[in-house]
Amino acid sequence: MSQFWLSFGFGLVTASVLAIAAVGLSLQFGITNYINFAYGDFMALGAYLTYYVNAEIFHIDIWVSMVIGSLLMGVFAVGVNHFLLSPFARRFTKSFYVLIVTFGLSLIMLNLLYAIWGSNVRSYNMRIEQVLHIGPFLLTKNQLIVMAISIILMLLVHVMLKTTRLGKSMRAMSDNTTLAMTTGIDTRRVTTVTWFLSGTMAGLAGTVLGITEGNITPGSGELFLFVIFAAVILGGVGSIYGAMAGAVLIGLATEVSAVFINPAYKLDVAFVILVLTLLFRPNGLFAQPGKA
Amino acid sequence: MTSFEEPAITRQGVDEAILSCEGLTKAFGGVNAVNGATFDVPRGKITALIGPNGAGKTTVVNILSGAMKSDSGSMRLGSTDITNWERYKIARLGLMRTFQLSRELSGLTVLENLLAAPKVQAGESLFNIFFRPRLLKREERQNIERATEILRTYGLYDLRDNRARELSGGQKKLLEISRGVMASPSLFLLDEPMAGVNPALIERIGGYILDMKAQGVTVLMIEHNLNIVEKICDNVIVLAEGRTLATGRLSDLRNNPEVVQAYLGEVINAGTGH
Amino acid sequence: MSAFWYYVFTLVFFLFDYFILAMGLNIQYGETGILNFAYIAFVALGAYVTGAVSMPNSVGTGQQYIFGWGIPFPFNLIMGGVAAMVLAFVVALITLRRLRTDYLAMVLISLSLVFYDIVNNYVRLFNGADGLYNVPEPMSGVFHLTLNAFVPFFALVTGAVALILWGVMSRITRSPLGRTFRAIRDDPDVAAALGKGVFRYQLTSMLIGSFYAGVGGGLLIQFGGSFNPTAWLPGETFVVFAVIIVGGVGNNVGLLMGALLVETLLIHLPAFLPNIPGHPGLIEYIDTMVVGVVLMLMLWFRPQGVVPERLRRFPQPAGELANRDGHSVAPPEQSHYVAAITTDDSEPKDAQ
Repeated sequence: MSQFWLSFGFGLVTASVLAIAAVGLSLQFGITNYINFAYGDFMALGAYLTYYVNAEIFHIDIWVSMVIGSLLMGVFAVGVNHFLLSPFARRFTKSFYVLIVTFGLSLIMLNLLYAIWGSNVRSYNMRIEQVLHIGPFLLTKNQLIVMAISIILMLLVHVMLKTTRLGKSMRAMSDNTTLAMTTGIDTRRVTTVTWFLSGTMAGLAGTVLGITEGNITPGSGELFLFVIFAAVILGGVGSIYGAMAGAVLIGLATEVSAVFINPAYKLDVAFVILVLTLLFRPNGLFAQPGKA
Repeated sequence: MTSFEEPAITRQGVDEAILSCEGLTKAFGGVNAVNGATFDVPRGKITALIGPNGAGKTTVVNILSGAMKSDSGSMRLGSTDITNWERYKIARLGLMRTFQLSRELSGLTVLENLLAAPKVQAGESLFNIFFRPRLLKREERQNIERATEILRTYGLYDLRDNRARELSGGQKKLLEISRGVMASPSLFLLDEPMAGVNPALIERIGGYILDMKAQGVTVLMIEHNLNIVEKICDNVIVLAEGRTLATGRLSDLRNNPEVVQAYLGEVINAGTGH
Repeated sequence: MSAFWYYVFTLVFFLFDYFILAMGLNIQYGETGILNFAYIAFVALGAYVTGAVSMPNSVGTGQQYIFGWGIPFPFNLIMGGVAAMVLAFVVALITLRRLRTDYLAMVLISLSLVFYDIVNNYVRLFNGADGLYNVPEPMSGVFHLTLNAFVPFFALVTGAVALILWGVMSRITRSPLGRTFRAIRDDPDVAAALGKGVFRYQLTSMLIGSFYAGVGGGLLIQFGGSFNPTAWLPGETFVVFAVIIVGGVGNNVGLLMGALLVETLLIHLPAFLPNIPGHPGLIEYIDTMVVGVVLMLMLWFRPQGVVPERLRRFPQPAGELANRDGHSVAPPEQSHYVAAITTDDSEPKDAQ
């Protein structure tokens, strides 16, 4: 039983990382209506930017570095949208083209990371934390901070969507872009801001993944991608709250499953859930009408 | 309503329904786009489906062609219950449709657009491709001949080797209709076949629709232009707020106060001045 | 045989093999519009199965793998192709019926990553991260070739296989079946409205393409004698996409061209460059980035590829042959009803 609760605790950590990643992906998908297949590499690049700030030039605290690295990722995402993806999406009506471009971007970014930092595993410059006993859980201080960051971020996203003008514009565009445009929403501005948020959250997710896993490699984001997809599809593609719920379910399922099966396959459990979702509830648990 | 099950009556001249639907409903996010539409489409006639914007006309066509599933209600094509059938199976029974905004098979040539239309082709089976090449050749030759004939009629013959995406708006409209004709439909649903084309072309399309009728094709068309409806349609179904308001001849409906109030009033008066 | 010819025939092998792989992906993506981001997983399965069925029983080989039946060439290759088809069948049943293009791509790329994870971790399947090695040389019992003779020999065998598969593929793409595939690619809703069972045709296309993927993979493992998981990360799928997009989607000659330009010149030729001292692998990384950039530039400036999809013209019916210039001069036939409703005498030629 204690084994179960231990895993449950790890599951909450994974869920926290996953929630940041999944919400970042969903925000952008809701607005642009295509999947960013380079998202995993956005995460990895964010993790490395943090690493650069934290361990290579400034040697400053990991959490401060994380903020800097993530914001840089946000700026990067805006640039990618402005100079690459948005022109393709506007020019070609078929979504094939822009999807292939994001796929290609993924390959370019991955190899860029390899070219700059090599294939060796890197670790952040941070203190080794004592493991704390909290109820039945066994967690480090850093893992607790990651969970706190995730929860705060989810609340912020919720408040933004429900109360701010930007959030309302985003929801309107997610429902119907053309209609939103005719009601006077500056769709370009909203798109830019969304890419910034999506990039920042990818950077955050990549960094906290590196912190909780203890290391980063150029391929770590890419291999995490299908877990994010599983969370997003389980929650219903395009639904922000669905992404949060999907992240929690997938995060818990993958870690708790490690009690029962070989931990090497724990992430594959996410794929099994993905397939089951497709078979029995293809629109996800919280489907948005018209998005499937 | 079920008169088509009685061939004797049919022969006596009572309209036989090729399509009948009852109590169709469809809601989008709590809004009832179609709300109990019930009507028959008489065989061998041209029927217009009219109604104010948002009456649910296109949704009805989408349901009838299987592109959407209705929330409730039933529909029959001939004597077959096709409620909630998959759209390609409905098409194979002989129900063809066009789309409000023409949808050409853009990368195919004009001729290929038509050649793709026949519902079941021997040449679509891998076995036949490799083991019955002569059957394929014969079938293809027949299809090309027929397609050529149709393209001539529709004035698209010179464009046969052009990619469909290169056509003008009016040409795309014609292509879409001729593609449907190529599939030899028994019932042809036309979603605003004359919207957005010039007056000369409107007349031509009207002629083609009458041609179809002469060849025994039943037509159900969504149309806003009541002049056209008056000229070529035998029968009118009025849809308002997702319900069937009335059916009958346009001239009779003009005197129906309900219809006039819901939709027709001004338009009819404007139309009669023509 | 000098080292030079050894390299040349290595390039020739990759040219033909990627031509086969490109034909398989082209029928799925280029002809039918299925964005198969898991393509390389089908290639890998074909490679592993081809290898594992042709190797002797695993006991005592120092490797762990299933099968081990000692099946000779070319039957092992066919089994590799069929294995890829079986995977495609299962995947198609789960995904094709319900998903929009980009969700399908999401699921497929996930599948590719998971398959990778499983093969890597579950050592008893295909020897885990070490991959299969010492795969028997095809037809070694017949010819007893040295390594230097084997390379040109097998490059030509692959060329012959590619030629056969090319013949089969162009027969399919020229047929009404190919036309229906392209109709689905252009607009699945219209195809369905014309009575085409879209799912059935997409499934057919997936199966055909996967067979090509499996055979291409089988040839890879037979050529190199080994195959391990690093050979089929998702990036490799992208290379095949680059081949067909650069060469020309929907044109078999274009695919051969794409295989030459991308696989042979861009990917394999730089592999012969000496490494930059102190930066192992740097050339390869830069090279892969170049492939990505080239593909984006192609998509933007020449989306139809180097050799575009050709217009499929048909011989005109007999009556028309007399008309040498290929254009009918007659105006469209007037419907005899038109006169009845025509109010003005406007020209029958249609306009915007």
